[in-house]
Amino acid sequence: MNRLASIPFVALLWREVLENRTLFIWAPVMLALVLFVFAAWLISMAPNDQVSISIQYLSEIFDGLSPLEIAPILMILAVPFMVILYVCALIYLLGALYQDRKDLSVLFWQSMPISNATTVLSKVVTVAAVAPFFSVTVLLVFYTLALLCLTLLGVAYEVQVAGLGYLFLAALTSLILVYLSAFTATLWLMPTVGWLLLFSAFARRAPFLWAAGVFILIGFLEDFLFGSQYLANWVESRANPNQYLIYNLSDVTERMFSYDMLFGVLVGSILLLGAIFMRRFID
Amino acid sequence: MSLLKSILLRNRFTILLATLSLYMLVLVMEGALTGREARVIDFENPFFDLNIRDFEDFQDSQRNEDDKDFLTDESTIL
Repeated sequence: MNRLASIPFVALLWREVLENRTLFIWAPVMLALVLFVFAAWLISMAPNDQVSISIQYLSEIFDGLSPLEIAPILMILAVPFMVILYVCALIYLLGALYQDRKDLSVLFWQSMPISNATTVLSKVVTVAAVAPFFSVTVLLVFYTLALLCLTLLGVAYEVQVAGLGYLFLAALTSLILVYLSAFTATLWLMPTVGWLLLFSAFARRAPFLWAAGVFILIGFLEDFLFGSQYLANWVESRANPNQYLIYNLSDVTERMFSYDMLFGVLVGSILLLGAIFMRRFID
Repeated sequence: MSLLKSILLRNRFTILLATLSLYMLVLVMEGALTGREARVIDFENPFFDLNIRDFEDFQDSQRNEDDKDFLTDESTIL
């Protein structure tokens, strides 16, 4: 780890994790804790025979099924974690280039041998790859504990629990799909990431108001001046929930190299370039 | 080139303006070239049909009916 941390880019990613551990680590941990306590409360309230029947039913349903086929269905369980991840990512991106200007730590970071481009790129990689990694890790611990508890309960009620092993395998496979979905969704949302970072680097105060206000203003201006709605059409064309989810491992390559994805990355790169240049100015 | 660079990178506002202009230019050009139209949000499921275009059709039909009513009222008054 020490050798890895000596690589400047890895050190930057590590810095992001340390400075934003509340958003990336504690937020999913708290959600998992709340869900775990809620599930335990539900089980404690239910009659014993109903609990044993439910565990047996669960075990029989999943017994012998292929994890790859069940995994997309189990992705539903990760939805609350993904919602929390995106909310945290929004908060993080709006403050990413704003906070260090506010507390003047930007002066220290700019004195280090790190370019503005590397700094901005580290924010993007943090949102795309590092933050989903922590969410998925928390989910892995949550699934393991939940299935361990179910197995122990099943053994205590003398119920067949072999099928729960298949459920666990399917849950693990679904975590890979969840991670890939989060990663590709961030690339798909690269224009939004670029937009938020641009206004995070620009605004002297209230970056969210700047980002939302200018976006709405540009939409109206386009309609008013040119009578066209390309911006609104473009946003709407990227708003289908299916575009954010990966149900099959073979979908990844097709999704990553599709025209819409690459064009989105290009547009996002323009905005990121603006954010990199904007970082020259410190108030 | 250096003059353009010095103008564009003069302050925060010129950078913002240049970035947003380039962003809009690329988007509008691509939209015009590909004839991009909004893909309607369409949830396919066995329980109900939801298609945003249905709402637009509904709005259009309502507007046409309103216009018809207005014309009928006008002719009655006259």
